[in-house]
Amino acid sequence: MTELITGLLQESISGIALGCIYALIALGFTLIYKATEVVNFAQGELMMVGAYVNFFFVTTFISSAGEPTLWTFIVALAGSIIFALAFGWLLDLIINRPMKDEPIFSIIMATISLSIILRALVAIIAGPMSLLPISPFGEGVFSFGGIVISILDTFIIGSAVILVILFYYFFNKTRWGVAMQATSEDPIAAQLMGIPVNRVNSLVWIFSALVATISGILLAPKLSLLDTTMGFLGLKAFPAAVLGGFGSIAGAIVGGVIMGVIETISIGTLSFHYVWIKEINDIIVWIVLIAVLMIKPDGLFGVEKVKKV
Amino acid sequence: MKKMTGLLISILLLLTACGKQAPAPGVTDTEILIGNIQDLSGPMKELGAVLPAGSNLYFRHVNEQGGVHGRQIKMIVEDHQYNPQKAVTSAKKLIEKDQVFCLYHVIGTSPCEALRPLLAETGTPLIAPATQSGTMSDMSRPASDLIFHTDTGYDKQTRILVDHILSEDANAKIGVIYQDDDYGENVLKGAAEVEQATGTSIQKEAYQRGATDFAGQVGNLIKGGVNHVIIAGVVKEPIIVMKTAAAMGFSPQFYGTSPTMDHRVALAAGPAGEGFIAANFANLWNSDAPGAVEYRELCAKYEVPEAYMGMYHFYGFITAKVLVEGLERAGKNPTRKRLVNGLETLNKWDSGAFPPITYSSSDHAGTESVVLVQVKEGVQTVISDWVD
Repeated sequence: MTELITGLLQESISGIALGCIYALIALGFTLIYKATEVVNFAQGELMMVGAYVNFFFVTTFISSAGEPTLWTFIVALAGSIIFALAFGWLLDLIINRPMKDEPIFSIIMATISLSIILRALVAIIAGPMSLLPISPFGEGVFSFGGIVISILDTFIIGSAVILVILFYYFFNKTRWGVAMQATSEDPIAAQLMGIPVNRVNSLVWIFSALVATISGILLAPKLSLLDTTMGFLGLKAFPAAVLGGFGSIAGAIVGGVIMGVIETISIGTLSFHYVWIKEINDIIVWIVLIAVLMIKPDGLFGVEKVKKV
Repeated sequence: MKKMTGLLISILLLLTACGKQAPAPGVTDTEILIGNIQDLSGPMKELGAVLPAGSNLYFRHVNEQGGVHGRQIKMIVEDHQYNPQKAVTSAKKLIEKDQVFCLYHVIGTSPCEALRPLLAETGTPLIAPATQSGTMSDMSRPASDLIFHTDTGYDKQTRILVDHILSEDANAKIGVIYQDDDYGENVLKGAAEVEQATGTSIQKEAYQRGATDFAGQVGNLIKGGVNHVIIAGVVKEPIIVMKTAAAMGFSPQFYGTSPTMDHRVALAAGPAGEGFIAANFANLWNSDAPGAVEYRELCAKYEVPEAYMGMYHFYGFITAKVLVEGLERAGKNPTRKRLVNGLETLNKWDSGAFPPITYSSSDHAGTESVVLVQVKEGVQTVISDWVD
């Protein structure tokens, strides 16, 4: 019995760490959706670009300054963050702003094209071979009572929680946050009320690129290899965002963690004891998603939107 | 005048008909055209440029020696992005428009499987498909008489690994982690065969392609009391599995099928990957095998960039050797039929890199064995002769 509980606990911890990665990507989706109602299908690719840029900084510093120290990583992180800010701003300028008055659907298609272009560009610049990421986290683990969690996973969980709290606070308590919500509700009315809609839009894209870069930096060492297909993980984060309630910041992390834990436990303990679960492993998260949406069509934390005719 | 033209045409037609037999597609007096379909922009794109470059290294060498029966080998490469439908489109283009003599080294199990009906319809041989799926040499499938496999299949690799484990430790508890697709299916086929033959029972844990976390599978192997684990993954999976196991204090002997025989596994897994044993279907490019020595000499001669040199480039090189041998045996006036017949005369033929290759009209598998390669102090080291 204790063995069963230890197993479940271990799988839950691993599942939470995996879920926090989904949550970080889902958070990126949510930020842009919340402010502009656009679903950015290039979110996974923004993460991939962030991971490559960070890799570029780390290797550049190592080649000029020798063996990596903690400072190498901190400076590389700072460089990557500055890049993310500029990148997010640029994307808003070239994708979002010119298409402002087009149907939402067109902008979504533009983000899909963006994802393909980014994958190709990175492959052209960095070459097709996968790279070995260099990270400061090492192989260290924390262990308590037979349950282990790696230092890297601790950082992933910590970052996800901190970012979600920060953005939650920002959206609900600050003037800019409220301005963003107003923009999403009715851009024209918001503009008439004196909200600088263009600046609000570029801010969400910047935030989104920032979150993506941080998740990319944390995910690369977890994947062991860095390649351009990393962005496909965005497709797994999408149901997480829907489960939590698309557009809800708290929902992103709750949806992500639920997905991660279900995935890990169903592959682990459940499959071990019930062979039939093994057969449905790959669809189990979708079953849960459909079940939740049947009961709560807007997701766990979604707010029901009523449109007046 | 009209009559004269008509007469002239008739005479010309008669002359052509009386002349020698019409040459096979892709074959002229000076050239043989080969078609290759790689993944240049899909998930396996890292190999897309490297594999044909390795083949072209050998073709260049052969061409400079005067070619095959005086004909230069020329290869056209198409991109299928690892998509079976695109593979069929590319193959149609190569066969119908470019009129290639045969297809060669097309990458991927599902793209190659998708080509079967087209191969059968057009009678085009496919030499050395770049996949280790045992289904490639399944003689009950369509066009199997036209496909010549060079790599020892995953089913055989699994069987060989399990046999090897049982010969070292008769009481071994074996587990296998497999990808839940056609690759894994072929691995499971081998596992089922060896279970039946030896009476041993193997614990099987699946993962989805693209999985990033293996805590569930590793946890189950611990619960099952397993002490030997075969990882039927690609590059990322063995790294993450071994790191996860090390973190959870689980230290069985790890083994892998041929796709895990990538030097990055040892590099990225670090101490967790020490002792990892992978099965490979050919000798290592940096070994003392004659094919590998020749490879390195030609790399030096033609100044191949160092970034290209390695197992994948070498794989392109050695399969090219098999193709060239087939073309030699097809004779001075090659036809597709003669190529097939020529290859079927290979009997324990030594390429200097693959295990001895034998084909017959009822067996196109070619090889039956692997070498075992172990990571020792971070370096891949061959620890066995051919094992079958």
